[in-house]
Amino acid sequence: MQTRILNDDLIGQIRQLFEAQFQHPVELLFFASESSYDVCEDIKQLLEEITDLSQKIHIQNYDIDKQDDIAKKYNVQVAPALVVAGRAEDGTILDFGIRLIGAPSGYEFSSLIQAIILVSKRDSGLKDEARVKLNQLKDRVHLQVFVTPT
Amino acid sequence: MVQAEMIEASEFYELAMRYNVSGVPQTVINEGAGIILGAVSDDILLQEVMRAIDNP
Repeated sequence: MQTRILNDDLIGQIRQLFEAQFQHPVELLFFASESSYDVCEDIKQLLEEITDLSQKIHIQNYDIDKQDDIAKKYNVQVAPALVVAGRAEDGTILDFGIRLIGAPSGYEFSSLIQAIILVSKRDSGLKDEARVKLNQLKDRVHLQVFVTPT
Repeated sequence: MVQAEMIEASEFYELAMRYNVSGVPQTVINEGAGIILGAVSDDILLQEVMRAIDNP
């Protein structure tokens, strides 16, 4: 049997968090590549362990090179990349523009859990005035937040 | 309209170097039109985004 990445303590915490806050279905679209095979396999396993904790999380695995049409559709240019999206009742993917590039380890792991919960709530938590300004955007905005795991 | 990526800087070192990332978090708006060092409130983030859009 494969060794689990998440320990019992963490699994308990995430399960509790999901039970208390999870609302609508979430779809994780993971883009892997041959050149980053090892880290991608680790992330895949981690994502599977997370999806096991809620029936409302689903995962789709893609290869960024072999399925470049799908990567392009989600504007994913590098791997490993994870799109944290919502899933409508009819199965439509609701893309809120949230991406995690690289391995979600250390502090970034909690960012991943936060992102999943945020998407499940379908609420950015932004103030009304911020929403008004964002609704007036005419051109695409690309934000890249550089982080390190520790 | 907004795509926000969290990027692991050590894994994507070249990309981080392109924007001279020396500390984290660092936020790059529209490929360098704006740069925010450190963690800021959503008000400041939005302000910087608007500024970056106005001065491409």
